[in-house]
Amino acid sequence: MSDDLDDIQAIFFEECAEGLATAEAGLSAMAAGDVSAGVIAGVFRAVHSIKGGAGAFGHTALTAFAHRFENVLDEVRANRIAPTPGVTRVMLSAFDILSDHCAAAQGTAAVPADAAMLAVLEEVLATGGAPDQTAAAPAPAPEPVPAAPVDEDPFGFQPVAIGGLEDFDLAPSEPAGWTVRFTPSNAAMAHGGEPLLVLRELELLGGQVTAADLSALPPLAELDPEMAYIGWTITLPAEVAEDAITECFDFVAPDSVIEIVRCGGDPAPAPEASAPAPAAEPVVAAAPAAPAASAAPAPVVAAVPSVPAPAAKPATDDAPPPRQADPVAQSIRVELTKLDMLLNLVGELVIRSSILSDRLSPKDQERVELPQLSRLTREIQDTVMSLRAQPIKQAFSRVPRMLRDLSSATGKQVELETFGETTEVDKGVIEKIGDPLTHMIRNAVDHGVELPADRIAAGKPAHGTIRLSAEQRGARIFVRVADDGRGIDRARVRAKAVEKGIIAADAVMTDEEIDQLICAPGFSTAETISNISGRGVGMDVVRSNVEALGGRVEITSMPGKGTVFTMILPLTLAILEGMIVRLAGQRFVLPLANVVETVQPEPGQVKPISTSGEVLELRGNFLPVRRLGNIFGFASNDALPPEESLVIVVESESAGHVGLMVDTIDDRREVVIKSLDQNLHPIRGLGGATILGDGSIALILDIEAMVASSNPRFIPKGLAA
Amino acid sequence: MSTMETADERKIVTFSLGEQVFGIAMSALIEIREWEEPTPLPGVAHYIKGVTNLRGTVVPVVGLAERLGWPASRIHSRSCILVVSIAGKQAGFLVDEVADIVSIKESEVRPAPDVDVNEPNVIAGLVKITARDAGDAGDNGTMVLLLDLNALALTRQFDLAA
Repeated sequence: MSDDLDDIQAIFFEECAEGLATAEAGLSAMAAGDVSAGVIAGVFRAVHSIKGGAGAFGHTALTAFAHRFENVLDEVRANRIAPTPGVTRVMLSAFDILSDHCAAAQGTAAVPADAAMLAVLEEVLATGGAPDQTAAAPAPAPEPVPAAPVDEDPFGFQPVAIGGLEDFDLAPSEPAGWTVRFTPSNAAMAHGGEPLLVLRELELLGGQVTAADLSALPPLAELDPEMAYIGWTITLPAEVAEDAITECFDFVAPDSVIEIVRCGGDPAPAPEASAPAPAAEPVVAAAPAAPAASAAPAPVVAAVPSVPAPAAKPATDDAPPPRQADPVAQSIRVELTKLDMLLNLVGELVIRSSILSDRLSPKDQERVELPQLSRLTREIQDTVMSLRAQPIKQAFSRVPRMLRDLSSATGKQVELETFGETTEVDKGVIEKIGDPLTHMIRNAVDHGVELPADRIAAGKPAHGTIRLSAEQRGARIFVRVADDGRGIDRARVRAKAVEKGIIAADAVMTDEEIDQLICAPGFSTAETISNISGRGVGMDVVRSNVEALGGRVEITSMPGKGTVFTMILPLTLAILEGMIVRLAGQRFVLPLANVVETVQPEPGQVKPISTSGEVLELRGNFLPVRRLGNIFGFASNDALPPEESLVIVVESESAGHVGLMVDTIDDRREVVIKSLDQNLHPIRGLGGATILGDGSIALILDIEAMVASSNPRFIPKGLAA
Repeated sequence: MSTMETADERKIVTFSLGEQVFGIAMSALIEIREWEEPTPLPGVAHYIKGVTNLRGTVVPVVGLAERLGWPASRIHSRSCILVVSIAGKQAGFLVDEVADIVSIKESEVRPAPDVDVNEPNVIAGLVKITARDAGDAGDNGTMVLLLDLNALALTRQFDLAA
């Protein structure tokens, strides 16, 4: 049982993380000036659901804080507190405390001291935020926040307007939309059909209990606490969809009595004089801000007293439709391994169907409708692929908060610029780059960016800039953290490394090798151990995590100008657009992104320049040419003279344009990247492998590493193993 | 890992390699497939003959003979690949011929003899089995060398990060 509860708790914490991410994204948008109602409502919903879950699990501190925070958000949402920059700042700080509370609830951090923050929130509540703007928001009395699933909302549905309705016991002229009678079966409680939950659900839809039927209630002495005796009559606004109502009863015990009646369909008595349109379409006219109402033909919306929002709040026409009951996209949680399995099976299916099309004549293919099958298969594959790919934004989203914390802890001013947030990366990769990213950002702020005074002295703007970017290049994802700080102090790094015994005092090292030292285990140049960095466990974690993913870390630094950390990660499960080339009978996939052009050399166009090197003369330029066979040490295509080979000009970051000599080009197609390290280990020069239509494997070339690795240091080492 | 089986009995798959009969734990076996030339890989240990496609997964194929430091097996019609799972990773081992699946008793396993392999700990023990269809169950049992698959795991043999 407690295991179950732990599982549910785990889901709650997952939801917390998601909620926090949503809230943060919203608050950041607000800080950036987007204070539209949709954004505010998003933040509210996120905080609210955290509160709800926390309450259910008894995290009282978290619940209490979230509640206070939510109150402020609610006021902002209702336009009673203007989202001025000041208020937004308060909310950002409150958000930080909220995250700390979540962490505390999870047991990963201490319970934060929130008294000061609570006081600030109270003050905002009391003063209505910045006093200058509050007047603009005419506070409509009982605010019906219907989109919010609030069970203890202080502004919830007071049965004011329908007051007295129970007297005429739902006469047909009653102006409400739906009447629901609900009498749970006697055994409802025993089946776990707690009626209160149903009533709450209905309440969320805007329902009110107007009458309770106590006739079945026995005398106290005979009362069985496990039996249900009471029946309820609930009214709901007309624009609630019938589906939404029936949904509330999904989990009700089977013998319960449920009657759902639409009533008050008579348009004539609609008391709202402002409904000018004829009976056929008064819904739209009377409730312009409630598009959901158009789904409900009953023309009495204006008369329903429980939806005063549209009429009472003319100032908030841009508010989200108040009754989009379930605007949240529906989603389910699926274990990643299941997706993996699905992806593998679908990959197999695609391969099988290609095998079929290879083996069947076009006529036979048509006869068995193979083309249709293949198309379907591809669509399934695309869909499954898309299930795993997520925008890298998820990994970036925690950076702004981190920077705020770091700025206040260090006194450094840092601005964040992000690029390529929409780059889609496999979910597994996103999850694993979180830690490295954290360390890289910390490192950039702590060691890179200087204090404002130092920056000004160096002729730079007082605030530093950290550029966080992601891009896909071929089979790799490049994630960069670039700062414009002081750069790596190589003399100091070297001295520290000698001091810590990482290198010998007389080691001869290039600048790049010295830069790499900061990734050495236990290395730290910080004079004091702060809570930001300095324990020497930072950058080596980056390197080991990234290498565990089959990637690598590159560091480039310019003294005085800044440092760039680049994580080069494999795109494990991505599709790659590739050129399939053939060499010595084996097929390879060349990422199309690297291919510049293909040249069929004329005799004499490829010239040897030394015993091992060749160049291709192309439009007056000389390009180095590499033979794929030589690079990989396979039985090479030396036998083929250059004019019978093809030279594919590829672009690489480190070596510019390089020609690769291959035997021929087979095809050009999208391939599914399969990692080699799943069952083996990463191989330098290869970005993975793929399975071709005939079921055979083609290796995917990693041009960057390959071109770099054709310096002879690597090859003998690899082959010698 | 050899003590994981219940009771005293466990099943092993026996196969021949050169003149020797080896056995591996049945529980590690995923499948037995016919020999098919794998796709060679550059820059890997010499005994890794390449990779092959196992139902959509890229699986390395290891020449077990080379792995043990013996001359490479000759490929013939009964050559096959034992696909096994070692510590969560899949690998195929090229063997000369798969013989049988037999039950052995833990108590019958004797300590590893001094076999000429290039790596210690690969042989977990020695057990004598009697051929199932042999008429007389007398002394002419077969000596089976039990392989410890964990010792054969494909770890990276050289450090690229250096």
